Amino acid sequence: MKIVTHSPSPQPLPSWLRYTCQAVWLINIVVLPLVALLAVFLAGPARAETAQSPLVTMDEVKSGTLLLKSSEAGRYIEAPRVATDVDIIVSGPTARARITQIFTNPSNGWVEAVYAYPLPEESAVHALKMVIGKRVIIGDIKEKKEAKAIYETAKAAGQKASLVEQERPNLFTNSVANIGPHEQVVVQIDYQEPVRLSGDEFSLRVPLVVAPRYNPAPITQTADLAADGSGWGTTADPVPDRDKITSPALDPRINAPVNPVTIKVRLQAGFALGEVKSPHHSIRTETVDAQTQIIALTGENHADRDFELTWKPQNSKAPAVGLFRETIGKNDYALAYVTPPVVEQKQEERPREIVFVIDNSGSMGGTSMDQAKASLDYALSRLKPADRFNVIRFDDTMTALFQDTVTANRDNVSTAREFVGDLEASGGTEMLAPLEAALNDKRPNDQAFVRQIVFLTDGAIGNEQQLLDTIAAKLGRSRVFMVGIGSAPNNYLMNRAAELGRGTFTSIGSTDQVDERMRNLFAKLESPVITNLVATFSAGNADVTPAILPDLYRGEPLVIAAKLGSLSGTLTIKGMIGKQPWEVTLPVAKAAEGEGLSKLWARRKISDAEVESTLGKISREEADKRILKLALENSLVSRLTSLVAVDKTVTRSQDKPLTRADVPINLPAGWDFDKVFGEQTTRKAGLESDSNIQLAKLVQGNKPVTKQAPADELPLPQTATDAELRIIAGLMMLLASAGLFFFTRKTTGKAS
Amino acid sequence: MSATVTINNGSKQKGRAVIRPALRAGMIAMALFGLLLFSQGIWIHAKAILAQVLLDRAFTQSIETGQPVKPWSWADTWPVARIEFPRIGETSIALRGASGQALAFGPGHVDRSAEAGENGTAVYAAHRDTHFAFLKNVQIGDTIKITRRDGKAFTYQVTETSVVHWDQSGIDSNADGKNLVLATCWPFNATTSGPMRYLVKAQIAE
Repeated sequence: MKIVTHSPSPQPLPSWLRYTCQAVWLINIVVLPLVALLAVFLAGPARAETAQSPLVTMDEVKSGTLLLKSSEAGRYIEAPRVATDVDIIVSGPTARARITQIFTNPSNGWVEAVYAYPLPEESAVHALKMVIGKRVIIGDIKEKKEAKAIYETAKAAGQKASLVEQERPNLFTNSVANIGPHEQVVVQIDYQEPVRLSGDEFSLRVPLVVAPRYNPAPITQTADLAADGSGWGTTADPVPDRDKITSPALDPRINAPVNPVTIKVRLQAGFALGEVKSPHHSIRTETVDAQTQIIALTGENHADRDFELTWKPQNSKAPAVGLFRETIGKNDYALAYVTPPVVEQKQEERPREIVFVIDNSGSMGGTSMDQAKASLDYALSRLKPADRFNVIRFDDTMTALFQDTVTANRDNVSTAREFVGDLEASGGTEMLAPLEAALNDKRPNDQAFVRQIVFLTDGAIGNEQQLLDTIAAKLGRSRVFMVGIGSAPNNYLMNRAAELGRGTFTSIGSTDQVDERMRNLFAKLESPVITNLVATFSAGNADVTPAILPDLYRGEPLVIAAKLGSLSGTLTIKGMIGKQPWEVTLPVAKAAEGEGLSKLWARRKISDAEVESTLGKISREEADKRILKLALENSLVSRLTSLVAVDKTVTRSQDKPLTRADVPINLPAGWDFDKVFGEQTTRKAGLESDSNIQLAKLVQGNKPVTKQAPADELPLPQTATDAELRIIAGLMMLLASAGLFFFTRKTTGKAS
Repeated sequence: MSATVTINNGSKQKGRAVIRPALRAGMIAMALFGLLLFSQGIWIHAKAILAQVLLDRAFTQSIETGQPVKPWSWADTWPVARIEFPRIGETSIALRGASGQALAFGPGHVDRSAEAGENGTAVYAAHRDTHFAFLKNVQIGDTIKITRRDGKAFTYQVTETSVVHWDQSGIDSNADGKNLVLATCWPFNATTSGPMRYLVKAQIAE
C-alpha cells in the first residue's frame, strides 16, 4: 500500500481506491490483532482452572446453599436441585401422569445430575421429553446397554442428554448430563397406572421420596458353584447395584427441605363422586361436575412423603364390575375390575396359626414404629383362644418370642403385647432371616389350621429379589400378608411379596389409619378366601394377564388386563368363595372407552414374566427375552430398557470438566435421621468391627459423597500457563500500535 | 504529486481532523494494553522462578523443623517435596495440591494420589512452560530423586513416557508397588491449553 501513496505514476489512483486501500490497511493492522486476541482468549477454555471447577471451599460459598462433600478434602460441590411437578388425569380405571423435573445447577461448573426417584410400582413409563430453552427433544426407548452407551457418548461429547433407567420396578434414576453453570434443564416423564380399588375405596398413590434403604452387606452372600462340577464358584452380592439406589439423604434438623413438589389431579371417576380425601397432604378441591373434580396441593410441599388420594362413590357402594377397552392399531385391549360378592357365611371355621413379624430397624424410627406397634397390638387383641400365634421382631438381629407358635390364651397374648410395647427402633434391616423363620412351618401338612404370616415393615431394603425368591421357594401352606408402614414404604416389595405369598398388601401411612386399615385386614384374614379363579374370553385368542390369577380376600377386586382377538363375546370369571362356586359374565362389546390400557397390559405382562421366573416356571433368559420384546414394542422402561434423549448441539467444550453429583433427597417424613444413619453406623461398627469393608461401604453409602471420575483414574489438572500467549499478544499489540503511529505520522506529514 | 493529493482530499479534511485524535488515542490505549499483557506474561515466568527460591528456603526450613512452613505468610499451600533430576541438573520444589494457584509457584502434588515413597502412585503436576518445561528432556532410565518433607529421600527410575487425555489418565493411585507419575500439558510448544497430558512414569529403584 505504500507503493500506492508513493507511486510515481502520472495517473493518480482514483480516490475511492486509495481510501479502500487505506481502510484495508487499517483493518489489517488494528482490527485483526484484536480479533485474533479475542478469539484466543475465548477459545482458551480451561485457562482459569479454578473458575470452572464446580468444587468450592467453604470460604467460597456466598449464599445459603447445599453442599455435598466431594472426593477432595475440604472442597464441596453445590448440589443440583430438582423441582417436581406432577400432573395426573384419572379417567375411570386408569391414571395418566406427567412428571416434570426441573434440574437446576447452582454451581459454577458443568454438572451431571443423577436423581433417584420413586414411581408407582405398577407404572408403565413410556415417554421422555427433554426441554432445553425452546427446544424439545423426544426420548427413544432402547435396550438398557445401548441407551447407556448413547448417553455416555453424548455426555463425553458435551451434548445435553437425559437417561431414564429402572433400578427397581418402583425406583428410577434420571441422569442429566452437561448442565451448564446456573442452567436449568427440564425433563418430562409420562406414565400410566391402574387405579387401585379395595373394598369401596378407590385410591391413587404418587410416591415422592425414595426411603434410604438398608443394603445387607455382602456377608450374606449367595454362592453359585460352577456347573462343571469343579467345585469352584462365585458369590453374588445381594444388592448388586447398591451405589445406584443410594442417594445422599439430608438431616431435616440441619437442612431446609429440598425438592419442592406441586401436584394436580383431574379426577374423572366415571361415577358420581362421594368423599375425596388426601390423608397425608392438605388439598384444595374444585368440583367441575358430579363425576369430575380437580385436586391440587395447597401450601409449600417437598418430596418427603408419598401423596395418596382416595375417593368413594356417592352411594358408598363401589361398582361391582367395570370393563374398559382401548384400540391401538389393529389390537384391542381390555381391562376388567370384578369384585366378588361378600358372602356373610359363618367365619372361616378353621382356627388360624399366625406368625407376626415386626420390623424394629432404624428406618422405622419415629412415627413408623408407633404405627407398627399400634397395628400389631390391634392384631394381637383380635386373636381367638383357638388360634395359635408367634411374634418375631428383627433389625439386624432377630428374636422369636416363642420357640414355636403357641395357643392364644390370655397369658400368652399379654406376654406378646408387653413384648411389642417395649420394642424400640434401631439397627439395620436384615429381613431374610426373620422371613425364613416365619416361613419355617413345623407342621406343613396340618390342615386343621390356616397358616398366615403378617409382616409389618417399611421394606426399606435393597435386596428385594432375595426375599421374593425365598417366599416363592418356601411358601408351602402359609399365606403372606404384608403391612406397609410409614410415609414412604417400598410398595414394590410389598405388592410382589403379597402376590407371591398369595396374601394381600395393606398400607398404613399415618397413625390414624391404623384402626381402619387393620380392621379391614382382619376382615380379610377372617373371611373365606376366593380361590381357583379362572377368567375366559369366549371369543378366544385372548392374552390375559396376570397369568396366574391370585387368591382374593374380602372386598378385593380381581383386576385383569387382556389383549383381545376381537371385541365381542363375553368375559366369564369363575371361582370358589370358600366352598361355594361363584361365576360372573360380562359382555365385552359393552365395554367403555378407556385410556392407556395397552401400556398397562404390557406392564402387567412384564410383571408376569418376573413372577414366573421368580417361581422358577421359566428360565431367567426366557423371562429376559419376553420382557425385552414387550418393552421395546410398547416403548416401556423396564429392567432391560431405558429411555434416552440426546440434544444434537454440543454445549460443553472438551476441556471443561464434568462432575457427577447425586441430587440429595429428603428423609421421608416421620423418619429419625440418627436412627437411620448415625446410630446404624455406630451400631454396625460395634457389632461387626471385624468387617471394616462393610462399615466403610455403609458410611460411604449413607453420607453425601459425590463421585468424581472413577477412583482408579486420577483426573489431571490443567498444566499450561498462558504466559506465552500473553507475551505474544502483548508484543502483537505493541507492534500494531507502533505501526499505527508510523501510519498516522506519514499521512499527517503529507497533509501539511 | 502531493499537492494533487491534498486537493483531491480537500473535502475530506474535516473528517480527518476527527479521525486523527481518535486514532492516536486508540494507538496509545493499544500500546498500554499490549505492554500490560506482555508484562503479565513475563510476570508469570518471573513469579514461577522467584517462588521457587522462596519455596526452596521454606522447604529446607520445614525439613529442619519437621513442620509445614508456608513460603510466604498469605500462601494457602506449603512445600511438600523436592524433585531432582540429576542427569539434566534440574530441581523443583513441589507444593501440596494441584490447584491453579499452587501450580503458578511450583509443581503440585495431586490430591488423592499417594505420598512419594509409599505404596501406590504419587502424582506431581506442573506447567509445561515453567517448572516442567524440562520434562521433554527426561529420558527413560533417568533417575528422579524425591525428598519428602520429613527428610526421607527416594530414588525412582523412569520407565515410560506417554500422552493421555486429562480425564482418562489411567493412573491408579492405589496401584501395586511404589510408582511415580509426573504430568504436564502436551504438546509442549502449543500456546493454548488443551486436553492432552504428557506423563513421565517411574518406579522406585531399590
